[in-house]
Amino acid sequence: METIRSLDLAVQECVRVRGFSRLSDVQAQSIPLVRKGRNLVLIAPTGTGKTESAMIPVFDAMRGHPGGGFRTLYITPLRSLNRDMLQRLAWWCKELGLTVGVRHGDTPQSERRKQALSPPDLLITTPETLQAMFMGKVLRRHLANVRYVVVDEIHELAAGKRGAQLAVALERLVEYAGEFQRIGLSATVGNPDEMGRFLCGARPFQVVSVPVAKHLEISVDFAGDRFEKQADWVSREIDRHASTLIFVNTRVTAEALGHQLFPRGDVEVHHGSLSREVRIEAEERFKSGAIRALICTSSMELGIDIGRIEHVIQFGSPREVARLVQRVGRAGHQLEAVSRGTILATGFDDLLESLVIADRAKAGMVEEVTPPRNAADVLANQVAAMAVEYREVSRERVREVIGRSYPFQVPGPLLDEVVSQMEEHGLIRVDGDLIRSSGRSRKYLAGNLSMIHDERKMSVYDMVSRKTVGTLDESFVVGWVHTGAVFITKGQLWRVLDMEDGRITVEPARKAKGELPSWEGEQIPVPFPVARDVGALRKSRDFSKYHPNSETLRFVLRFLEEMDRNRSPVATDTEITLENAPEGVICNVCAGHKANEALARVISILLSARYGTTVGIEIDAYRIYLRLPPELRSGEVREILLSLEPGHLEGILQLAMKRTALFKWKLVQVAKKFGAIDPDADYERLSIHKLTDLFESTVVQKEAYRELFSNYMDVGRAARIVSLLREGDISVILSHLSILGAEGLFSSRDQISPPSVDQAVISTLKRRLDQQEVVIACMNCRKWKSRTVVSRTPDPLVCPICGARLIAVLKPWEEPLLAQASRRTRSEEDRAVEVRLLKNANIVLSSGKKAVIALSGRGVGPENASRILSTLAEGDAFYREILKAERNYIRTHRFW
Amino acid sequence: MRLEFLEAGPALLVCRTRKVLVAADLHIGIESDLALHGLHFRSRSHDRMKRVLACVEESDPDLLVLLGDVKHTVPLTTRQEYRELPGILEELRKSLPLRVLPGNHDSGISRFLREDELLAREGALIDGTGYLHGHTYPDPSLSGHLIVSGHHHPMVTLKDEVGCSLRAPAYLLADVDERCLRMNAAGEEASRQTRVLFIPALNELAGYDIGRTVREPFSPLSRCMRTDDSEVFLADGTFIGPLATLEDYGDDQEP
Repeated sequence: METIRSLDLAVQECVRVRGFSRLSDVQAQSIPLVRKGRNLVLIAPTGTGKTESAMIPVFDAMRGHPGGGFRTLYITPLRSLNRDMLQRLAWWCKELGLTVGVRHGDTPQSERRKQALSPPDLLITTPETLQAMFMGKVLRRHLANVRYVVVDEIHELAAGKRGAQLAVALERLVEYAGEFQRIGLSATVGNPDEMGRFLCGARPFQVVSVPVAKHLEISVDFAGDRFEKQADWVSREIDRHASTLIFVNTRVTAEALGHQLFPRGDVEVHHGSLSREVRIEAEERFKSGAIRALICTSSMELGIDIGRIEHVIQFGSPREVARLVQRVGRAGHQLEAVSRGTILATGFDDLLESLVIADRAKAGMVEEVTPPRNAADVLANQVAAMAVEYREVSRERVREVIGRSYPFQVPGPLLDEVVSQMEEHGLIRVDGDLIRSSGRSRKYLAGNLSMIHDERKMSVYDMVSRKTVGTLDESFVVGWVHTGAVFITKGQLWRVLDMEDGRITVEPARKAKGELPSWEGEQIPVPFPVARDVGALRKSRDFSKYHPNSETLRFVLRFLEEMDRNRSPVATDTEITLENAPEGVICNVCAGHKANEALARVISILLSARYGTTVGIEIDAYRIYLRLPPELRSGEVREILLSLEPGHLEGILQLAMKRTALFKWKLVQVAKKFGAIDPDADYERLSIHKLTDLFESTVVQKEAYRELFSNYMDVGRAARIVSLLREGDISVILSHLSILGAEGLFSSRDQISPPSVDQAVISTLKRRLDQQEVVIACMNCRKWKSRTVVSRTPDPLVCPICGARLIAVLKPWEEPLLAQASRRTRSEEDRAVEVRLLKNANIVLSSGKKAVIALSGRGVGPENASRILSTLAEGDAFYREILKAERNYIRTHRFW
Repeated sequence: MRLEFLEAGPALLVCRTRKVLVAADLHIGIESDLALHGLHFRSRSHDRMKRVLACVEESDPDLLVLLGDVKHTVPLTTRQEYRELPGILEELRKSLPLRVLPGNHDSGISRFLREDELLAREGALIDGTGYLHGHTYPDPSLSGHLIVSGHHHPMVTLKDEVGCSLRAPAYLLADVDERCLRMNAAGEEASRQTRVLFIPALNELAGYDIGRTVREPFSPLSRCMRTDDSEVFLADGTFIGPLATLEDYGDDQEP
């Protein structure tokens, strides 16, 4: 109470009107600190009044010290959050006689001009727009008045390169504004101090943090492993609460679940690939109570206000503690209320993982956020930005400013390397100690304000229906998709037949193996400690501290009993099992996605080097599936595994990754951020191989490796597993294929298979063949030919002129062959054509309509047709044969 | 006649009564063109000249033949070319006499050359061997000789079982159809054997898959060669075999 009374009277009034009769813990702790001018990191779940905790004292101070220019910057990672914040803060500002504005990519030019003429006291913006503001003379002058900077959702920013860029931007701001007060708002993280260092560099700061556990009430449930059952369960849960938010891990699941629940009439779907209008409408309808449940992906994690949520359902394991805490934290939305959430686990792995994560959440063991350190492309970006900002600036000053930020403390030799690389590709000019902007730097900067990589989209073309079925992000394609790969998009499985010119040719796939990549990189990796805990739980089989309900417990125990009955050893945190599967070896390793990715790549490169064979890999958090030729079995894999040295992994991986598409793609991305490649570069000019050669042993290449080894795989943790193996703390057991090993293999978790894809494929093919245009010609009298479509060809085919049944069936583009075969004087080649046409007609004579259909397949000539007909396949099997022939044609005749 | 494959170039040494060093497709100035298309790198012209000089050093030739596309930008001459070409040509000249068979990228090259250094676009016969950049029909006088040609930037892709690939500059030797090349005088029967040897580009950024050249020929020479008994060599002279051995023509599986 005392805290409130010490505030500016108008602010006190607002607090009262807003109904804060009592301050929350967070507010009570943080308001005095902010008032004392301390830098502060405020860690609390969404909905505990974080924004107000930061802003009440800031408003108070702004009232106390009037002045011009932007006095407070409120930085959020998302435009949609900006709008939300504007709505929330506009009321306060109006009451307090302060001006507020929002500025980001969508802000109209007129509004920008207004801000330049009379800057609002409080500016809500994004990190990228802040970057842009340094480019303008007038705006720079306004920035000199900044006294407070509030960074919202700082955990989100700090984890990536955007954060590293923002940290430098804050130091660049100090150059104009002098020291200002920094306030960071963060969701719960495992390392709050790191957030403080990230925000403040070497300056002192204080952390106010609300313990998670007392706000959370999380249970885990299981409703069988069938999707329909699970959807029914969700439906029942929706009935039990006034409002429910249902989080799913992928858009595919969101769509599938939505499909099941739409008939209820009170459920909507909300995810990133829906248009903004659709999303906002869903938010509004939920807020107003018109619907009682919203199915959403991570799109709803950040603090967008959608009103009161009574219950949160997490469909499938949340995979990370932080994610669970963040998501369940959306429930309760009132100060100090308890947030209630339920995880619906969908299988054995999923269930154990959910139990572990729920337990870790209750214990407050949230994952740490690791800001990237010394990211060379961010450094290059900021060097260029400073060169443009000052036109010429001394290297020492750059070193000093950038070196104050936490991500680049001691930039020493890296800065010099980056500067000479940039000079080499002409982005800056270097003159002794001076760094100058070049003709290109401003244009570069305008195109690279953001450290978010802009993605090209590649279209996916279905060979069977001959239609484009959707688009994929370039990064997803380069990282995961290769000829023969199976992936999911549009809720269906697809196999890649061909990739060229930004187009991927696919066919529907029937069977899925392993955890399939689904589109747009929605894979959330399971962290190492969670996977280790799951391993330990498999070993102890002591579920008492996890309090599972009886049905859940029964399912787990039944699964483990079946393993025992089959004499299948269960892989744990101290045991790796290698199981011989039909097409390879499954290594059950409880180490999480990133460590398994690193291990899998090392093992595969060593196997292929030793045995000269190609090795396919698929991984999930608990297993590595190596596709191997039949002669390589678990024994050979064990030998490789036991020969590994922890210190060698990184070197092996550098060699292994260099040839991969993933690395090349990463390299191009980094080179773009370095300004060596323009965003709209014409890659046709240079093959990707030459391009990667040009960056050999440059700082660009180094950064690509650094990012690859920190974002895509965890070499350190993989090395830890190898050390444990060498010290005998993990043992290796050879075994046969178990239900546990097969779980990841045959029941992919993030995948819902549509009913009978096969049927759909065949019917599409039938439709297409029916509509195929053909030329029919008599090979007896050679006087009659006609154009028609397959469905309209009579059976049997008879020449209306001579009455013969020797009719050839050709595709329209083959028509000139007829003339060639009937020339008066025929070359050897013409003779050969004639023989083929006669063969064609003979097949039609003996097999009738079936032959006509077969011959109308793409790339199916008389040889293929007679092979197809000789299988005597009927019905669907017959069409499947045609499909096989067409597929073969696409594969072998890709250049025709 | 003896041929020596100089890997350091890659370049070719043709020895008969004289020793002729041949280097093709330097494309000096390629960097400013790449920059125009959004790819920015430092100029590597000097490294390229050094490689030619290393070949001179290694083989002690009597004559240096630059087989066209000495410069890169058409139809203009860029600042980079004005800056770099005079020095590079002068440096080469200092060591030995120089001849240039102009290529399709060499518009305006004459201003950088002495009068006697520039030969005809349609090719020239030097010491019994034909030389030609390769974008034009060859002069009939080359008929019956080995024609050394640039322009095609040949490169092969080799794959091993694991799927890793070697992409390397290569030479392609093939018979050509004289009639197709319009090399016979009217009514004359094709009796002499004319062969073409495509040599790899000295510019390390150039490279065009041989398989694609065969599938989609883009010049008189490539249209008129007989591919059935053609032979492929690597830059160091390693014999790879007939074209047919390169089953998988280095397709672009990677995006």
